Amino acid sequence: MTAIRSTTRQAQRIQLRRRPWGLYLAGLLVVFLAIAAIAPQLLATHDPYALDYPAALQGPSWAHWFGTDESGRDLYSRVVFGAGQSLLIGLGAAGVAIVLALILGSLAALAVKPAAVVVDRFVEVMFAFPALLLALLLIAIAGPSALTEIFAVGLGTAPGYARMIRGQILAAKNSGYVEAATALGHSSARIVWAHILPNALRPLVAVFALSVGQSIVWSSSLSFLGLGVAPPSSEWGALLDAGRGYIIQASWLEVIPGLVIVAVALAATTIGRHLQAHLEKGEK
Amino acid sequence: MRVSRITIAAVALTSVLALSACAGTSAASPAGQPVDGGTIVYAHQQEPACVFGGWIEQAYLSYQVLDNLVSLDADHKVVPWLATSWKASSDGLTWTFDLKKGVKFTDGTPLTAAVVAYNFDYWLKGGNSTADVWLAGYYKSAEAVNATTLQINLSKPYPRLADNLTQSYFGIQSEHALKTRTTAQNCEAPIGSGAFIVKKWNRGQDIVLVRNDKYTSPPANALHTGPAHVKEIDWKFVADPTTRVAALQSGQVDAIYDVPSVQWKTLKSAGYQLEKYVTSGRPQQISFNTEVGPFTDEKVRQAFAYSLNRKQIVDTIGQGVIPFEGNGSVSQATPGYSTKAADWYSYDPAKANALLDAAGWTGRNSAGVRTKNGTPLKVVLPYGAGSIINQDGASILQGVKQEASQVGFDVDLIPVPQSELFAGKYSSPQSYDLSVGYWTAVTAGILYINWRPSTVDDPNYSNSAFYNDPVLNGYILAGNSAADVATQNADYEKAENYIAQHALSIGVYDRLSTLAVSTKLKDVWQEHSQGGPTFYDAYFVK
Amino acid sequence: MTPISSNSAVSSGSPVATRLVLEQAPKVPSVRRTSRLRLVVLTIGRKLISAVVVLWGAATVAFFAQLALPGDRATVILNIRDGQAQQRTAAELAPIRAEYGLNHPVLVQYWDYLRGLVVGDFGTSYQQFRPVTAIIGEQLGATVTLSLTAILFAWVLMVVWVTLTAGRGSRVRSLGALVDVVVAGLPAYWLGIILLLVFALGLRWFPVIGGTGLNGLILPALTLAIPLAGFMAQSTRVEFERALDQPFVVSARMRGMSDTGVRLRHVLRHATIPAVTLSGWALGSTLSGAIIVESIFSRPGIGSVLVAAVNSQDLPVVVGIVTLVAVFYVAVNLLVDIAYTLIDPRLKSS
Repeated sequence: MTAIRSTTRQAQRIQLRRRPWGLYLAGLLVVFLAIAAIAPQLLATHDPYALDYPAALQGPSWAHWFGTDESGRDLYSRVVFGAGQSLLIGLGAAGVAIVLALILGSLAALAVKPAAVVVDRFVEVMFAFPALLLALLLIAIAGPSALTEIFAVGLGTAPGYARMIRGQILAAKNSGYVEAATALGHSSARIVWAHILPNALRPLVAVFALSVGQSIVWSSSLSFLGLGVAPPSSEWGALLDAGRGYIIQASWLEVIPGLVIVAVALAATTIGRHLQAHLEKGEK
Repeated sequence: MRVSRITIAAVALTSVLALSACAGTSAASPAGQPVDGGTIVYAHQQEPACVFGGWIEQAYLSYQVLDNLVSLDADHKVVPWLATSWKASSDGLTWTFDLKKGVKFTDGTPLTAAVVAYNFDYWLKGGNSTADVWLAGYYKSAEAVNATTLQINLSKPYPRLADNLTQSYFGIQSEHALKTRTTAQNCEAPIGSGAFIVKKWNRGQDIVLVRNDKYTSPPANALHTGPAHVKEIDWKFVADPTTRVAALQSGQVDAIYDVPSVQWKTLKSAGYQLEKYVTSGRPQQISFNTEVGPFTDEKVRQAFAYSLNRKQIVDTIGQGVIPFEGNGSVSQATPGYSTKAADWYSYDPAKANALLDAAGWTGRNSAGVRTKNGTPLKVVLPYGAGSIINQDGASILQGVKQEASQVGFDVDLIPVPQSELFAGKYSSPQSYDLSVGYWTAVTAGILYINWRPSTVDDPNYSNSAFYNDPVLNGYILAGNSAADVATQNADYEKAENYIAQHALSIGVYDRLSTLAVSTKLKDVWQEHSQGGPTFYDAYFVK
Repeated sequence: MTPISSNSAVSSGSPVATRLVLEQAPKVPSVRRTSRLRLVVLTIGRKLISAVVVLWGAATVAFFAQLALPGDRATVILNIRDGQAQQRTAAELAPIRAEYGLNHPVLVQYWDYLRGLVVGDFGTSYQQFRPVTAIIGEQLGATVTLSLTAILFAWVLMVVWVTLTAGRGSRVRSLGALVDVVVAGLPAYWLGIILLLVFALGLRWFPVIGGTGLNGLILPALTLAIPLAGFMAQSTRVEFERALDQPFVVSARMRGMSDTGVRLRHVLRHATIPAVTLSGWALGSTLSGAIIVESIFSRPGIGSVLVAAVNSQDLPVVVGIVTLVAVFYVAVNLLVDIAYTLIDPRLKSS
C-alpha cells in the first residue's frame, strides 16, 4: 500500500516538475496587473495625463518605454493607469456573465418542466443574437460607458455559458450518484445541494478565468468601434480607439496596447486551463 | 553651307511660338499628355443619406450633379453660373436674375425662371432645411417675369443674398423630376443640369457618376467649357482616414478627402497635390453658457480664455496643418474677419488666476480644483465625438481640459455619441457649461444665426451661449442690412469684438477641407463656397 | 457512442458539443408501436414551432429594446439630415412624425411591425427613404460571403495544423496547443490591423479597400478565420489525440499504412466531429466579427450598415438586421437539428 502511494506521489512530483513556464509567466503578469490596478503610481514612470507637446509622437525609447502619443503623454504610464479600469470591466463582465449563466442554466436544468422549457427557449433567443449584436443594442440604449460595457459584454457572453452550465447540471442529474441518492430516498433539495451543484459548479472557476480574458477582448472591441470608454481615459480599449489614426506614423500607439490586451487574455486563459486540468485530475 | 538669316529667324520664331503655346495652355501638364475620358476613383469620408439635402456632405455630392444660379470665385466674388447677371432694386426688396438660355436638365426639360421659382418654394417647404435657414425671415416669394427672368421678392433687404446662393444647398433641380418622381428617386439621383449624372448608388460602398455629354452651363470661374473631361467618377465612401491614405499611396484611388494632419508631410514629400480649404463661417469654437452655471460671471469666462495656450495645442496636434483660430465668431477665411477679436486673449495663466480670485473662487479642494462656498469649479463640456469633432479635435479638447485644470477648472469632457447628440441630449441650458462646434457660411451673416436672441415666439436653438443681448443684436442687424460691403464688414467686426470682449465665445481652430490628389490627375480644385472637391475640370495625364 | 464524460467536453471548451453529447444520452423510455415517419414528423414539427417561438422572441426583444433609446426619434431624424444637433420646434417635427407613424401608441406600432415581418416588410429606413429589405438585401450577400469564406479558411488552417502537430513528440504537441490558444484569443481588430499593415500596406499583395472582388476578400476572411481555426483546433486536437490511441489505428499501422495515411484516412474523420458542431456556432461568431472586420477593411456589408444605423437610431434598419440575423441563425440550426433527427438511429420503429 505504501509502495503504491509513494509511487503515486513520485509520479505527481515528476508531473509537478514539468509544470510549464506559461503558468509562472501568467502568474507574474497577474501580480503586475494587480499592483497596476491598486497602486499604479508605483509602476508608472510619468503622470499619464501630463501633456508634453514638444515630445509628441516619439517612438519607444529609454525616456518613454512605450513611446508617446500625439499630446506627448507617456504610453507606458497610460497603460499602467488604464489597467485598473480595464480589469474592472473584464472582471465585471465575466462576473455578470457567470451570474446570469448560473441563474439561467440552473433554471433550465432543474426547474419544473414548463418553466425550464421557457427559460431554455429564452436562452436560445439570446443565443440567436451574435454576442456583439446584443452588446450593440444595449449600448445604443444606454450610451457608451464603462458600466454599460460591463453589462453589454456580460449579456453577450452569458448565453454560451448558460448552456454549458445547463449541460453540466443535466449530466450531474443523470449521474450514478444521483440515481443512488434518489433510490436511497434523499430529498430533491438535498440531492441538488449535495451532489448536483458542487459537480456542476466546480469547473466554474476555470470558466471564470477564461471568461475574464474573453471579456477584456470583447470590451476593447467595442471601444475600437468607438462605442466604449472614450479618451482621455487610459483604459486600454480607449487607447486602441485613439491609436487608430496614427497607425502608419506611430504604429506603437496601436500595436502595443493590443499586445498588452492579448497578453492579459492569454494569461487569463492559461490560468483557466490549468485550473480546469487540475480540477479534472482532482475529480478522478 | 551657310544657313540664311531668314531661316534662322523663321526657326527662332516658330520655336518661340511653339513654346509660348505650350506655356499658354497652362492646363497642360509639363510632364504628361492629357487624356480624354477615364474614371476618377475618389475616396470620400462620410456617406450621406441622400444626394441633395441640408448637410454639408450632401452639398459636396450635389455640387457635381446640380448647377447653382451663381458661383463664388477665389476672391470671394460672386460670378455668373446659371444666372448671367443679377441686380437688386434700390430698396433692396426685389432681386432680378437673368438666366442663361438654352440650358436643359438631364431629363430633357428646359431651365426656365418658373422652374427656378419652383425650386425656391420647394426649399422652404422642407426640401432643404439649410436653404431654409438662410432664406427664412427674408424670402417672401419668387416669380417668373418671363422665361429667362426670375424675380425674387424679399420682406427685408438682404445684401448678401447672391453670396449665400452660391452654396450647393441652392442647387437647381428639374421641376418635372421633383413633381413626378418619388422621394426615394429624388433622394438617390436628383435630376439637375450639372456636369455629371448619378448612375448608380451602391449604399455603403460608392456612388457612380457619369459625364453629362450635353453639358453647357459651367460656372464662370471654371477652367474650361463644354462637357467634363473624364467619363466617370467612382465616389467611394471610406470612413477610416488611414485606409484612405493607404489607398491613395497604393494607387487604388486617385484622390482622397480629409487628409489626417499627421500624414500631410509624408504625402507632400511623396509628390501628391495637396489642397487645403479653410471653411468660412463659424470656426470650431468654444462658447460659454451665459444663462446657468459658473460662466454667467464674465470674469470666469475670461479666466478660462487666458488659461489656455490654444495656439500651441492646435499647432502640435495639427502638425502645423490645422490653422489656429483665435476669433470665436468667424474664421479667418470669412469676409469681415476681425483680427482684433482673434488676438484678444493670449496665454496668461497669471491673469487667469487673478480673475478667478477676484470672482470669488478662492478655495481649493483636495484635487486642486477651485471652490467657492464649497462648490467646486466643475464645468461640463460635451462634444459630438466622431460626428462634429474628429480625432484631432478630441485630442485638442483634451489639451484644453489639461491646461484649464492648471488654474483650477475641473473640465468634464463628455464624448457624446451621434445618436444622443442628435436626440438633443445636451442642448438645454442645464446640460452643459461649454459647447463646441462649427457652422459653415459664406459670409459673416452666420453671426445672425448663432447670436440672434432667442425669444418665446421665435426661439433660436442655434444660440448655443443662450446670450440674448440687444446691443450685440443691433450690431449684427446693422451689418445684415448695410448698404455696401465696407460698412457691413465694419458692423460685423464690431459684433465680433463685442463677443470677444465679453468672452462669449473663443476660437480654437478653423474647420478644414483637405484633398490629396495623385500626380496622374490634374486640375482638381476645391469650390470656394464650401470647399468641396470639383472634378468638372479634372483630367488624367499619361 | 457512449456519452463522453461531460468534463472533457467542458475542457475542450465547446458548449454545443456538450449539448449534443447530452442529448444523445438515453432519456426516452420504450417507444410504443409508432411508425418512424410519424415520430420524425412530430419531432420536426416540435422543433419548427420552437424555432418560430425563438424568432418571435428575438423580434420582440429587438423592437422593444429600440424603444428604450433615449431622445425623441423625430428630432434625431431631422438633426441627422441637417448635421446640426439642436432642439426642434413642434412644427418642424410634425411632418416627420406623420411620415413614420410615430404618433401611434407603442402597441399599435409593435403590431404593425409584427404584421410587416410576416409579409417580409421590415418598414422603411428613416434616413434612406427605401425599404429596409432592400438595404439589407444589398449588403447581406457580402457579409455572408465573408462569413462562409472565413469558415472555409478556418477549416483548412485547422485541419492542416492539427494533422501536422497532434500526437507527436511532447514539444511539438505543446507548441501546437499553445499556438491554438494564443491564436484563438487574438482580437479580430488587432489581427486585422496587423494583416492590413503587413500585407496590404507593406507588401502590397492585397488591395487596401476591400470592395467586393475576390482579392479584397482574402485578408478580411483570414482575420476572422485565424482565431476561429485556433478555437476549433483546441477541441479537434483533443479528439485527434484520443483517436490516435484507438485500436483501429494500431491495426491500420500494423497493416503497413503510413503515418500520414493513418492521420488523414482514419483519425481525421473522428477528430473533426466537434468542429462540425462548432461550425454552426461559428456562423454566428463570424457574422458578429464581420462588424469589426468590415470597418477595418472598408468592406461593404451589414456590419457597417448596422453600426451606422445604431449610431443614427435608424430603428427599422437595426431591428431589421437583428431580426434577419436571428432568422438566419435559427434556420441554420434548425436544419442541423432536423438532419440529426433524421439520422438518429434511436427513432427506429420498434
